[in-house]
Amino acid sequence: MENIYKPYLMEIAEIIPETKDTATFKLKFKDPEIASVFNFKAGQFAEYSVFGEGECTFCIASSPTRMEYIECSFKEAGKVTAALNRMNVGETIGFRGPYGNYFPVEEMKGSNVVFISGGIGLAPVRCVIDNVLDLRDEFKDITIIYGARSVQDLVYKNLLDEWQKRSDVKTIVTVDPGGETPDWKGEIGFVPTVVEKASLKAENTFAIICGPPIMIKYTMPVLLKLGFEESKIITTLENRMKCGFGKCGRCNIGNVYVCKDGPVFTYEQMKALPEEY
Amino acid sequence: MEEKRITKENLIKLGSNWVNDGMNVYVNNGKKYTLMKLHEEDLKGFEEAPPLMSYKEIVFPKTEPILYYKKSQKEVEIIEPKIGGVKNIVIGAKPCDAKSISIMSKVFNWDYKDSFFNVRAEESVIIGMACKYNDEHCFCTSVGISPVSTDGSDLFLIPLANDNFGVRIISDKGKELISKYESYFTNGDSEESENVLSSIPIPEKKFNAENVKSWLDKNFESEFWNTTAEMCLGCSQCAFVCPVCHCFDIVDEDYSFTEGRRMKNWDACQNGLFTKHASGHNPRDKQPKRYRQRVSHKFKYYKDKFDEYLCTGCGRCSRGCPAGIDIGEIVERIDKLTN
Repeated sequence: MENIYKPYLMEIAEIIPETKDTATFKLKFKDPEIASVFNFKAGQFAEYSVFGEGECTFCIASSPTRMEYIECSFKEAGKVTAALNRMNVGETIGFRGPYGNYFPVEEMKGSNVVFISGGIGLAPVRCVIDNVLDLRDEFKDITIIYGARSVQDLVYKNLLDEWQKRSDVKTIVTVDPGGETPDWKGEIGFVPTVVEKASLKAENTFAIICGPPIMIKYTMPVLLKLGFEESKIITTLENRMKCGFGKCGRCNIGNVYVCKDGPVFTYEQMKALPEEY
Repeated sequence: MEEKRITKENLIKLGSNWVNDGMNVYVNNGKKYTLMKLHEEDLKGFEEAPPLMSYKEIVFPKTEPILYYKKSQKEVEIIEPKIGGVKNIVIGAKPCDAKSISIMSKVFNWDYKDSFFNVRAEESVIIGMACKYNDEHCFCTSVGISPVSTDGSDLFLIPLANDNFGVRIISDKGKELISKYESYFTNGDSEESENVLSSIPIPEKKFNAENVKSWLDKNFESEFWNTTAEMCLGCSQCAFVCPVCHCFDIVDEDYSFTEGRRMKNWDACQNGLFTKHASGHNPRDKQPKRYRQRVSHKFKYYKDKFDEYLCTGCGRCSRGCPAGIDIGEIVERIDKLTN
């Protein structure tokens, strides 16, 4: 009998502490056969499980162009993420996926891309950044704008350094006013303000935006004012999920299932949704 | 349609034979669906209200393991549960229950196929029975079912005079079930059955479901929701007694430090925690939003996606509601708003 609820087993190969309550896991499939056939697209998500605690939902943070590990980044918020946070390298977790739709990386080729994210929202954006950077020649200008509440809250610090060193990517890192340290060299300011001042070209540009609802709420009008097309502003929505494939009945926004019709939505699609997320 | 006839006595013998064949035989005893006790008085349901609970747990148990696990410090072993292998026969299914498996089958099979549901659905044989019950909570005719509809039944019983039943053979599954036991049956008299069926009053529609859907299409934001569900306690009995509510939770249960199981449990949209994010944010943070979800899922979303109403008009949710909320009455009010 095919059991759609049965997860793959994965070994935690490496744990990267990001902030005091956020970590990144590098995961390897226990079964090499699955590792050789497993595939996904940037933006898809999975159900991760700690046996005895339960399952929880987050995106695959690594890029499909780098299949050595599957990576996930999570913030300790509930029972399962707390259990994940107590795990060690070498231990086993469950992984079901990939589920949902994905970012239109193919469609984005030949365009400029602006990545805007805040806090742990960099995780779903990072898979697309890596994906796009691995195919750098196929895209025009690339801008990354990332903000966190404070310097301590920045995730993926190594990647941020790496991106900042590249001459073919414009990377702006900002922290909220008051969140800076004495030796902070990045921007100070809220993400929407930084976006407004970043002299972005809206023409032929895709904007990928993920972060706290409040950041998205105040950045959207800025992007629209700058002239971005509604169909080229792309974000992800996160509603509570259990099954991940349209059966358990809780992630819907009206008749749209976030787990199947999403999690990736354009602003144009989002505008048509009722306020239920 | 092929029709046979059977006496009540023989029907009970037939049931015993199926039990002896290793099948699970459930019977409507007028109060609940229960494993057949093979008493004559068990076979009721023609004139009684739908049993307190539907029999949906045959295909969608209240709680069931989707996997077992053994774990050590570093390793995990997954052990798959074994399901199926036993035929389930329901004798005396209400027409409003008989359709439930085919309705739920849509959600359990779009894209990802849920074998837990499918294996059991495949092994279930539904013997429906005409229904002469009608109360203020019933509204099967408003959602395209009727007290005499055979939709979803494999065999269909029509109670005749002198403890006899007309037996209509609806599907190959039904035909196969009785093929071994032809001797219990005599030739059917379609006319006699027709007379009984036509004597059953068909309740008038309480609302026009298409009108309700077209109102729901346009009124996600409406004052209507604030007043309709303000007495709802969020107890979720409506979802649990419903023959087609299928929402579930997935929960791990440890038996010990090293062993346990992952369970799929009934859940319900009226429960406040149902949609609550780990961050604390809740898209359906108030009861009116949750009630809107319940009505919209049944009369709009499921129809949009699967071309079926997620409701059979059985009225259980209303009969059992501790706050006296009647979905039929609410939907009737929606219909009136469209006039």
